[in-house]
Amino acid sequence: MDGMIPSEGTSTAPTGASSHPTGASSHPSQAFPGKELRRQSRRSDDAWSVRLLQIVTVVALVAGWELVARAGWVDPLFVPSPSNVVRACGNVGATALWGLADTLLKTLIAYVLSVVLGVALGIVLGSVRHLREAVNPFVVALYGMPKILVLPWIVLIFGFGVLPAIVYGIIHGLFPIMILVIGGVRDVDRSLVTVARSLGATPWQLDRKVILPAVVPSVLAGMRVGIVFCLLGVLVVEMFAGIRGMGYVLSTLANSFDAAGLFAATALVSTASIAIVLSLEVLNDRLSRWRG
Amino acid sequence: MSRIVAARAAIVVGVLALWEVWARLANPLLYVPPSRTLPALGRLLSLDSYPDLPENLGLTLVEIVIAYALAVGSGIGVGFGLGLFRLLGRAYGPMLAALYAVPAVVWYPSLMLFFGLAAASKIAFGFLLGFFPIALAVLAGVRQVNPQLLTVARAFGSGRVTTFVKVMLPAMLYTLVGGLRTGLALSVVGVIVGEILGSKAGLGALINHAYGLMRTADYVALILVTLVIVVALDAAASAMERWAQRWTG
Repeated sequence: MDGMIPSEGTSTAPTGASSHPTGASSHPSQAFPGKELRRQSRRSDDAWSVRLLQIVTVVALVAGWELVARAGWVDPLFVPSPSNVVRACGNVGATALWGLADTLLKTLIAYVLSVVLGVALGIVLGSVRHLREAVNPFVVALYGMPKILVLPWIVLIFGFGVLPAIVYGIIHGLFPIMILVIGGVRDVDRSLVTVARSLGATPWQLDRKVILPAVVPSVLAGMRVGIVFCLLGVLVVEMFAGIRGMGYVLSTLANSFDAAGLFAATALVSTASIAIVLSLEVLNDRLSRWRG
Repeated sequence: MSRIVAARAAIVVGVLALWEVWARLANPLLYVPPSRTLPALGRLLSLDSYPDLPENLGLTLVEIVIAYALAVGSGIGVGFGLGLFRLLGRAYGPMLAALYAVPAVVWYPSLMLFFGLAAASKIAFGFLLGFFPIALAVLAGVRQVNPQLLTVARAFGSGRVTTFVKVMLPAMLYTLVGGLRTGLALSVVGVIVGEILGSKAGLGALINHAYGLMRTADYVALILVTLVIVVALDAAASAMERWAQRWTG
């Protein structure tokens, strides 16, 4: 079980992209892209040719797509031209923004609960060795299990609306955070603990002065991973049995064959999640620089 | 050691017992006590409750195999392309990583619109989920190969192919295999998610059918069957990973 999830908060990970957990992970955020994004832009040599290539590629893709769509090689019912997608932004913009706000609010609630529960349980399981050895396989198994299988059950039990989305978001966010924190507590430098004990630290002092500060990087790593998991869980519930929110907006647009609106809404939610991940990454960098 | 095993067994038994009691007291239909699950599983496996289980199971497996094969092929291709050509890697690597940060399920409605309700949209989604971790792992693997090893190999006169097979591949194999394992898990999940979000055939369609008719015991039995497949596939991948670990030392 050791090293099941490389904790990206520590500086040992060679590149952002290499840190995928090798466990039966069922989730999209093992490689945290922010580090990769910024690690590369920091280098200044031939940075402009990289930037140029990126811009040229995006422009060429959009132009080619527009051309193909205009020429009628693809059915406009399924693949709208970029110009139509931009126009559709006006039509679906308000609906999509409200849906996104709804989704993000639910995600935030699920996220806060996941972090609080995950860190608390992680510290408890991490510091009590026998408990950890007995329970850890179950935590890893629950993390690896495809959570989509319990989705119908969640909806049956919690009905439609906000509650199943939050519960399902927590089911997604809790376990990765727990696993990272358990690992962080387990790997706290033993000599620090021994020294603190021999200098007469009480268990409470040990927790507060030694374990907690040492666990901060894995908590931060868990917080970064957790947000995408929570967002994923909330979106899936909204698609499956939503009455509001971005997932519901997306599936409604698909069901009404509004391809242009669907593409616009998809672009909006994609941009939002990339922005969230990047800002957490920057925040995390600041915090770790502040810690020294 | 044996005490830990006993503790784990006790946890399993305890959870099952609590579940049984809670389900009977609260709502046996909704919470499905384990005592009702076993007969349902028997009925499912004897093809009593769902006679078309083998066809649907087969379809899901075929979708998984195709999706994963596509993901492996293109993931390895793109990963090596980006890893071996530095400019391409620096330009497109970050874009790939950024796309990976998007919860992939937001693309499923578009895929369903484009590919329809049949197998193609599930294959496309399983491919999409599996592709990213494989491509990113190959990219990271190529980058983590020690450049000195390559220089030494070249200095001793080994050609491109020999350098690739004898130096590069062993040095990155562990990362590569890890990516392949994550990719498999995600391809499986992608296909199942696709089926549950909307399909007419496959395991997910059966799950939705059982759920829609409140045949909750059958639903739980179907989940168990699906879990067995997921675990078996991951066990195979994990065996492959251990083999790679031993091979690379």
